[in-house]
Amino acid sequence: MKRPTNGGSEAPRESVSFELVERCKKGDEYAWAELVEATHREVYSLCLRILRDPDDAAEATQDAYLKAWRALGSFRGDAMFTTWMYRVATNAAISKQRGRKRRRVHEVDADDETVSQLPSTASTETLAGARIELEAVEEALRLLPEHYRAALVLRDVYEMSMEEVAKQLKITETAAKVRVHRGRKKLKELVQGPAQETD
Amino acid sequence: MRCAEVREMLPALARESDPSLAVRRHLSKCAGCRAELETYRSIVASLATLETRTIAPPAGLAAKLIAIPSEASRVDHFRSHVTRNRAAYAGGAAAAAAVVGAAGAFLWRSRERSSGRARTTNWGRFAAA
Repeated sequence: MKRPTNGGSEAPRESVSFELVERCKKGDEYAWAELVEATHREVYSLCLRILRDPDDAAEATQDAYLKAWRALGSFRGDAMFTTWMYRVATNAAISKQRGRKRRRVHEVDADDETVSQLPSTASTETLAGARIELEAVEEALRLLPEHYRAALVLRDVYEMSMEEVAKQLKITETAAKVRVHRGRKKLKELVQGPAQETD
Repeated sequence: MRCAEVREMLPALARESDPSLAVRRHLSKCAGCRAELETYRSIVASLATLETRTIAPPAGLAAKLIAIPSEASRVDHFRSHVTRNRAAYAGGAAAAAAVVGAAGAFLWRSRERSSGRARTTNWGRFAAA
């Protein structure tokens, strides 16, 4: 999984030091506050990208940090703390998503057939090879059906391996590949419009 | 290979630098499919940069997260108290259930008795008539 980079530069940056985590493990609440300050924006953003709803994302973030606090002892430092925290947050967000699905009979999201095209100017600007506007991509991602969105966020935004995506979503690797594949297709349609056959 | 076949494969090729020979051959001849692949690659590249674009969390969330250790220790304290005194709580609950059961049985019996008496009185009146 990719780690946060420093202000867009290429070198990966770990915002949480090993010492800080060790202090947290010993129950140092000041260290915990520092750790939260350093990571909660990224964790909340991940949850929001998966869940789309700000309240659900805030709840999932709280669940994630509570789980992290309780499980800190099991963090051995093999991976970076942010990577570990992302996994915990993904788990919390996916659990929330499942709970939400159970509560709701009808999906409020646009489903596969009814996904509409983005009405923004992005579609006219994104000619072949042109730079895709980030805002347009983020907005299109928001409009994707839930199951595609989660798979795409994990694979293409947080660069998890396909195996990890499957594990997090509790689906087979083949199903994860299919979701990512269809998600990319749908996302492109949303950003640019459906593909035109030239053959 | 036809465009339709190649285009079906393009989303998967967005992160692959080395497509198969047949696809490469088609792409070298077809500007439309090449452009489409570029669009996919551009979208995937944009997605990869989203991680560093954080979204502002709601006000007060950080404070709630910071308070987790103290909240968690309060909950843990309560939980361990319940676990330590499980036998006492179980005994209390059983006693309460027994009291409620006894009260219910008493009410039921007294109601049965009064309705039985009423039935006998009605039958007596009918026989006399």
